Amino acid sequence: MTLGPETRAEIERARGRYPRAQSAILPALWAVQHEVGHLTPDAMTEVASLLEVTPSEVEAVSTFYSMYFQRPHGRHEVLVCINVSCALRGADGIVDHLTRTLGCESGSTTADGEFTWSSTVECLGACGGAPAMQLDHRFEENLTPDRVDAILARARNGTSAGAKRSVRQRRDR
Amino acid sequence: MAQKPPTQPDDGHVAVSIDGHETRVPKGTLVLDAAAGLGIHIPIYCAHPKMEPVAVCRMCLVHIERFPKPQPACATVVADGMAVTTDSAEVTKIREGMLEFLLLNHPLDCPVCDRGGECDLQDFTFRYGPSVSRFPITEKVHFNKAVPLSEHIELDQERCILCWRCVRYYDEITGEKEIVLEQRGVQTLVTTFNEQPLRSSFQGNLPEVCPVGALTHRQYRFVSRPWDLQRTAGVCPECSYGCNLNVDSRDFEIRRFASRDNPLVEDMWLCDRGRYSFPKWNSTERVRRPAVRPRAGRARDTAVGEAIAAAANELRAVIDAHSPSAIGVMGSAESTNEELFLLQRLARDVIGTRNIDHQLGSFDGITSEEHALGIAEIEECDALVVLGVEPEEEAPVLTLRLFKAQHKRGRRVHRVARDADPAGVVKAMGATTLTGVIADETNREHAVLVATALARKGAVRRMTVTRGVNGRGAKDLGVLPNVLPGYRAAPPGGKNGREILEAAAAGAIHALLITGPNAALERAGELLDRALQRAESVIVVETRPGKVASAATVLIPGHAIFEKLGTVTNIEGRVQRVRPALPPAAQTPSDTRVLAALAAELGAKGWERSDPMSVNRALREAVPAYAEAGSGGRALWTAERVA
Ligand code: SF4
Ligand code: SF4
Ligand code: FES
Repeated sequence: MTLGPETRAEIERARGRYPRAQSAILPALWAVQHEVGHLTPDAMTEVASLLEVTPSEVEAVSTFYSMYFQRPHGRHEVLVCINVSCALRGADGIVDHLTRTLGCESGSTTADGEFTWSSTVECLGACGGAPAMQLDHRFEENLTPDRVDAILARARNGTSAGAKRSVRQRRDR
Repeated sequence: MAQKPPTQPDDGHVAVSIDGHETRVPKGTLVLDAAAGLGIHIPIYCAHPKMEPVAVCRMCLVHIERFPKPQPACATVVADGMAVTTDSAEVTKIREGMLEFLLLNHPLDCPVCDRGGECDLQDFTFRYGPSVSRFPITEKVHFNKAVPLSEHIELDQERCILCWRCVRYYDEITGEKEIVLEQRGVQTLVTTFNEQPLRSSFQGNLPEVCPVGALTHRQYRFVSRPWDLQRTAGVCPECSYGCNLNVDSRDFEIRRFASRDNPLVEDMWLCDRGRYSFPKWNSTERVRRPAVRPRAGRARDTAVGEAIAAAANELRAVIDAHSPSAIGVMGSAESTNEELFLLQRLARDVIGTRNIDHQLGSFDGITSEEHALGIAEIEECDALVVLGVEPEEEAPVLTLRLFKAQHKRGRRVHRVARDADPAGVVKAMGATTLTGVIADETNREHAVLVATALARKGAVRRMTVTRGVNGRGAKDLGVLPNVLPGYRAAPPGGKNGREILEAAAAGAIHALLITGPNAALERAGELLDRALQRAESVIVVETRPGKVASAATVLIPGHAIFEKLGTVTNIEGRVQRVRPALPPAAQTPSDTRVLAALAAELGAKGWERSDPMSVNRALREAVPAYAEAGSGGRALWTAERVA
């Protein structure tokens, strides 16, 4: 498989930003994930050859960070924070609610392929709006079960404006 | 508190006290090494003598006065007046805590682990660990066990203590970066990209850098406990690089080769070809009994004395009927220096033939200059030129020394074509004061051209990769038609290996004396067949059955390299000792004794002392460079050219 020219260009740009090629692995992987949706071995090999590092180094980085995906994901991605501030403000309830309404456990994808969700992403840095989650890398804060339902419904109807989603749509065309 | 002595002159050393013992060590010394110098043991996992400190395992934490927190001894450089404590209650508690953590998810399967008995986790737990764990054994996080990483290496992900040594080995020593730690936190595991098998030629070093039983040799799986092994210091027999190793045997079989650090040679790293080559030395396919099989007459097994007498008779018959030059002598690059030295004496002084070689091709104009560059000196050259792929294919560990020169010492390594244009090489090199030129022995002539061109820019030293574990010794000791021991010119007219075979096949040489095993000879193929058939007399001292042994008119079992005492010389002239690790398969005297007895049968005087050590003494007297080399040093030659 080959990455699109835009992704390759983005990786080249990232490469130029750092004295060491290793440092560009993170932005390069973002570029790949935004194009492909997840990180395939082929894509990682390609990143490695673009950056002149070994594929194993790329894989090590990609597995260290939980926001890089090694497997295909749903159309939307929901990340729920369960760290201290969110936990104190009811994150457990949000997790229970998501498990019920989406019908699958954290770390998995809904049967209809719409959502992949996870509650093991560590602190999202949105303590001020706890409990918080991200939908397609956009913050949703001060969650209640009702708000969550509304957010999911909006996403299902295609009215969410997540960065990843727009990339996906471009590719789908 | 230890006070800095105010009047101490700066001699590059600093004073440090460890557990109340005072010592002075060079500036830049790590606390870990300063303690070792005092005989104080500090447990380590991530630290490794050949790698840069990373201080990730925290096993070596010690207390240092005036530091608010414990410091890693493996990454802390001593300072003048530093006072270190390793035996306090605080340090004991730290060690217990670290070990309890390391064992948190460890499977505790020492009884079935290949590393049991020589495992740092086991040993340090016994020595420094808590006797009980507060964590229930039923609640461990489990990973995969017995994951084959390649045909050589098995990985147990649960036993890994995440010391990073394997990753750093691939990063700092080979540069191949095949192994990585993936995931993070408690989920961290050792693996390869996309679970691809390892491809490196140096995988066998992994189980040795791993401090625990996570990376193990598949070849050694469930084979032995270390205390049941008998360890003999040896030299790798697979090529002429002469890597030092330990031969670990049990029940008269070699069970593994383990590294034996010689910083001047292999620097503790073996290649897989060498390390995993040992099973062939356990082969029961051996020449066991002396035999006499005259061309006209009945073949029979016999006693060794009788076989030697028969050999002498056959040789004498050829000398009487023709001349000494109707005899060709072939030595072997797998023989010891002592055997080679006796063989060439036997050929030249007793038999009186000039036809002696240990390989097929000629080594015209062989000089000691082509062996001037030492292995460790590679790191001192500001530039290195490697001609073709053969040097590194033949002697793989050379690659690691070149990597070290390049990446640790900042030397330039130019890998060019075998027949690269000398002018082009000079141009590509830029300015250098000392250049190393490394070539294969099949490429000697071209190496001379490159070296000569480079010599106009600065000093040049050459390394020539010889074939066979003792190919270098065979050349030094004149088992060649054109040179005597020490590269002195031999009287002209001697035939090289191929010419000997051709003459035998044509009926001009009537007797062959062959000591084996000789891989070079076997490469002669059909020419060898014809020579063996045609010669009236084929006297063979050989370890393995095969073409040569079957064609013998007199066959005497030889001793294999791990069954005897002697020395072999490596690529850089280092004279290294080999010792018996196995009892000889043949119940005959050592090869030196057989050769001496043959000389005595032929009427030579002064061959009585024929044990390997006496021969070694005689050799040192005859070849001063070998006297200076002693055991473990390099035989260095003054540059005298051979006509
Ligand atoms: S496999 Fe061995 S060497 Fe590698 S990190 Fe684990 S314990 Fe260390
Ligand atoms: S480089 Fe040669 S001597 Fe060293 S381990 Fe490999 S085969 Fe043996
Ligand atoms: S040995 Fe010092 S931190 Fe690992």
